[in-house]
Amino acid sequence: MTKSLKISQSALTRRGFMKTALYATVSVSAIGAMAGKAYAAADLSGREMVFASWGGSYQGAQEAAYCNPFMKSSGATVIQDGPMSGSKLRTMVEAGAPVWDVVDVTDTFLFANEELFEDLDFDIVDASALDQSYVHPKGIGCIVWSYNIGFNTDVVGDDAPQSWADVFDVAKYPGKRALRDRVYPMMEIALMADGVAAEDLYPLDVDRAFAKLDTIKDDVIWYSSNSVSQQLFVDGEVGVGVILNGRAFDVNQKGAPVDISWNQNIRSIDYLVIPKGAPNAEVAQHFMTATADADNQALMANTLAYAPVNPAAFADVKPEVLPWLATSEENQAKGFLIRADYWRDNLAELTERWNEWKLS
Amino acid sequence: MLARNRNLLLLLPAILLVGACFIYPVTWLLQRSVSEPVWGLQNYVTIFTKNIYIGVLWNTASIAGATTILCALIGFPVAYSMVHSRPWIRRVLIFVVLIPFWTSILVRTFAWLVILQRGGLINDMLIGIGLITEPLDLVYNRFGVLLGMVQILLPFMVFPLFSVMARIDGSYFKAAINLGANPIRAFLRVYLPLTMPGLATGAMLVFIISLGYFITPEMLGGRGDTMIAQLIFQRIDEFGDWPLASALAIVLLVGTGLLFVFINAVLKFRRGRI
Repeated sequence: MTKSLKISQSALTRRGFMKTALYATVSVSAIGAMAGKAYAAADLSGREMVFASWGGSYQGAQEAAYCNPFMKSSGATVIQDGPMSGSKLRTMVEAGAPVWDVVDVTDTFLFANEELFEDLDFDIVDASALDQSYVHPKGIGCIVWSYNIGFNTDVVGDDAPQSWADVFDVAKYPGKRALRDRVYPMMEIALMADGVAAEDLYPLDVDRAFAKLDTIKDDVIWYSSNSVSQQLFVDGEVGVGVILNGRAFDVNQKGAPVDISWNQNIRSIDYLVIPKGAPNAEVAQHFMTATADADNQALMANTLAYAPVNPAAFADVKPEVLPWLATSEENQAKGFLIRADYWRDNLAELTERWNEWKLS
Repeated sequence: MLARNRNLLLLLPAILLVGACFIYPVTWLLQRSVSEPVWGLQNYVTIFTKNIYIGVLWNTASIAGATTILCALIGFPVAYSMVHSRPWIRRVLIFVVLIPFWTSILVRTFAWLVILQRGGLINDMLIGIGLITEPLDLVYNRFGVLLGMVQILLPFMVFPLFSVMARIDGSYFKAAINLGANPIRAFLRVYLPLTMPGLATGAMLVFIISLGYFITPEMLGGRGDTMIAQLIFQRIDEFGDWPLASALAIVLLVGTGLLFVFINAVLKFRRGRI
């Protein structure tokens, strides 16, 4: 009794724990090395890196689509961590001790915080097969998603909204509509509803956008959580509004009467980036190539309907998933890519104005 | 001397905890709020000159105030019944009051959404029995926020009241009646003042906890229900704006501290009078 107590105590000391953890890591990477040697593009046996993303089914799909194939081909070990949080990431980089080597960030976060990330080394990272509008000097676009016109088919019947102007039309769709409680991308949506063409949006005429929003101010349920947006559409609390394509796909596949229009869709990108000072930056650079691979991207798209940035991936995308993808040729032509550089320069100021407008 | 040392030793864990988890971070916040982007009070000037921050501070105070008043109005009769009911009923009441603590605040808030929405339980029922024809807007507005907050914070009002009421000697009330006061007068002049310590403690707890609420206004609130914690989170998470977020946090902390001092002073004054 006394003896076993002693042993468990020593395992709990820091050094004991480190030792155990070390053994575990060594043995895992050894297995990885054995499995991967045959394919190894760059032999990274015994090396490791930490991958951080948004958790849940999304990160699970990323693990299967990017991390596992990379472990197989390189012999390196990828450790999963997260969830990604802007404040956490910023704090660890500012403190000079990031524990994450590759992180999934939104385009606005990357553009607003470029100084937090390493440059990609394009001698190592092969991004040549990608649509170059989704490649940033510091990040590889891993998925493309979009803000879409969403509707509940039971509520709107045969009269589905075709444009943002329809979504703003309180005579056509009385009752509440669900809109996102963020100035981004509500400015673009309001301007398009007011008749501005997508190619004439930037620089945004924000006064005009707020004036347009004034017209529907109290006919809106403003949501900040995407789960709430799903709930609103599924229960028919709103007939029309804005929803993320992936969120609509999710509830649609589960049988809810929710559908989207691709007209005037607003595309956005999630990037994979390497935090400045990441301990395994070199492994991370090699990892980027695996995320750009067509097969891996097709796997991601087939799981969660998040769109590939490597056009070659479409060869392996399932036909029933294709209509839901933001980068399919047809859907891409109907929308545009949001200008992350505009938002980098204006997000802070316009967010303050947005908050103030909401209270007024 | 020895006894004093021993007391100090007993307090040591708490002192270390407060030092590491409160004083250090607060000092750090305070420093960032006055030193960035340059030394000075610019962040505080921003807060007290821009409409958005003044508006949100006012929102925060008024939502917390309304929550406190509602908790007191609902909690007072509950605590009274708990004290004056048979032991087994009392146990049931305590259990019922504590139930909100058993589930996560996020789950409860989501549940409110489902119950209160236009096609939700309450509207369906009211329409079903013919009381209304059009669904009521019960959520995504101030009403929803207050309902969600009162439900969660009610125990913080009920238990301090309960513990004070349980110690009030019933003969004071009877004496007042015997001396000719009607029951209302006896309640207002004798019973209510005796419950004041519990009421004040409960009110202070509810108000102070309300000031920092985040999830409930974020999910159940509408356009005009932004509270200060939401702005603090937004400044840090989206913009990494520690200086302004720190200044907002310090304003909240100082405001809460001043209120604490004020309520204490009022209580002391009242106690002196009784």
